[in-house]
Amino acid sequence: MIQVQNLTKKYAGRTAVDSISFEVGKGEIVGFLGPNGAGKSTTLRMLTCFLSATEGTASVAGFDIYDDSIEVRKHVGYMPENVPLYPDMRVIEYLQFRARLKGMRAREAKRAVEEAMDICSLAERKFSIIATLSKGFKQRVGLADALVNKPELLILDEPTNGLDPNQIRQSRELIKHLGERHTILISTHILSEVEMTCGRVVIIDRGKIKASDTPQNLIRRLRRPGEIILEMKNEAESVEKKLVKLDGVENVTSSQAYGGWSVFNLKTDPSIDVREDVFSLVQSSGWKIRELASRAASLEDAFVDLVSNSDEQAKSNVEKKETEEITS
Amino acid sequence: MRTFPILFQKELRSFFLSPLAWIVMALFTFLNGWLFASMVNVMRLRVSPRSLVYNLFDSGWFWMGFFILFPLITMRLFAEEKKMGTIEGLLTAPVRTSEVVLAKYLATLVVYLIIVAPVFFFFPLFQWITGEQAAFQSGAFWGSALGLGLIGMFHVAIGTLASAVTANQLIAAMLTFVFVMLHYFLGFMERFGLVTGSTWSETLTYFSTIEHMHSLSEGLIDSRPIVYYVSFSIVLIAITHHVLESRKWRT
Repeated sequence: MIQVQNLTKKYAGRTAVDSISFEVGKGEIVGFLGPNGAGKSTTLRMLTCFLSATEGTASVAGFDIYDDSIEVRKHVGYMPENVPLYPDMRVIEYLQFRARLKGMRAREAKRAVEEAMDICSLAERKFSIIATLSKGFKQRVGLADALVNKPELLILDEPTNGLDPNQIRQSRELIKHLGERHTILISTHILSEVEMTCGRVVIIDRGKIKASDTPQNLIRRLRRPGEIILEMKNEAESVEKKLVKLDGVENVTSSQAYGGWSVFNLKTDPSIDVREDVFSLVQSSGWKIRELASRAASLEDAFVDLVSNSDEQAKSNVEKKETEEITS
Repeated sequence: MRTFPILFQKELRSFFLSPLAWIVMALFTFLNGWLFASMVNVMRLRVSPRSLVYNLFDSGWFWMGFFILFPLITMRLFAEEKKMGTIEGLLTAPVRTSEVVLAKYLATLVVYLIIVAPVFFFFPLFQWITGEQAAFQSGAFWGSALGLGLIGMFHVAIGTLASAVTANQLIAAMLTFVFVMLHYFLGFMERFGLVTGSTWSETLTYFSTIEHMHSLSEGLIDSRPIVYYVSFSIVLIAITHHVLESRKWRT
């Protein structure tokens, strides 16, 4: 559905997007993830023909974004960042205007608008003036606009930006539901959103693609040690000594918790699950235990690992090599 | 030109949905009605070699209101869309930029014509009420109508371009006002003694709005101002198109 090759955008003296390449297949929901200012919006604006690339090419739905811009725009439903709408129009009026603009005949547009309002649960506010709508409703109007002409591809730029937790959950459900019919590319910096809705993640930072994979694979590829948390009522030092001797445990630290309990933090070799051994040790030693848990690495860890802050960047080249491995 | 009528209609609607258009129309009509009445009075007291039409459109009062009109009706065209970000939605729809520019320009031109139209009702209305002999001839009447149409066409084009170069409506309005005024004063350079020599002053009279209006409001329809205003409007609208497309230039 989308093929991007060495796409580059340079603004005066600054490279916003630096020779990125990726693909989005038909029917995929792809999350475009990156910190603020990473070049997400610029990339999406190039794909929707609002801006042109300085170098490189991309095709959307089989059409070149530079040479066949009108065709590309016919096949894409785009919701820009912050959902700009005309505040003085009514919801139904606006959507009909947009549907007509996207090439639908008046009668066809009417039906399509009703359908889009239905999908986005806008029916109750269809005669409201857009300026009077809450942010959540505005977002839904933007989404209804994007999908009104049933495009094959939806490009949504930060669709849940500024919504409350409830609305975020609703729009997530909606996006998942839309994924059954459309190919979707959403940009976001909210990780949980990507983890729950997207089949694949493209991570971009400072204009460069750092990784492109399923969220599960990204987490798996993380070379970070496993972590086990153990909470027991025992004298810390002797316990620590015994725990370290276990196969696969690399390092143990402990801290005091309330009421004579101690929390032990075990760093382990990620390839070995040491929980069983830990439990037998606890059992045979007769320690009092109230928690044994392994903390799984999340997409957040992967993200933090891949997208280091600029001051941390120089820290180690080892990390860099790792990311290069992942990208290739 | 598939989307042109849709865009044109939307532009016109949004003009008349905002209070601005109505306020401008009311004030402009009021100002000119008052001016018209004063002109009639002046001509009753003093014999004038010119017609009522000529005197009305020669008055500085008329031009002052006239020039303030253009910044007001053109400033929001693109600047507002840029500020609100709706330009992104507009230009990522399958729409040609040229259609967007033309729709906005022509819709504003229609708004302008609707705003100045009442002025031309004053003359027949005056005739009808007083039942006196015509204080003007139909040539002067239609000539000045043509003149205001042409000048409006040109000034709306200036405003459209000004609105396309900035996201700030106030800056767009000021640019329009300054350039409309500058153009107007080109015709006065000779009177102010700023240019001397017959070549210069002759050249400048070609640009002079007030000179064009003088000849047209005497019923003298010269093809030169017609070509002048139409061609300059086309050039300005073409530049507007390029300004909007410039974001897509490959550097």
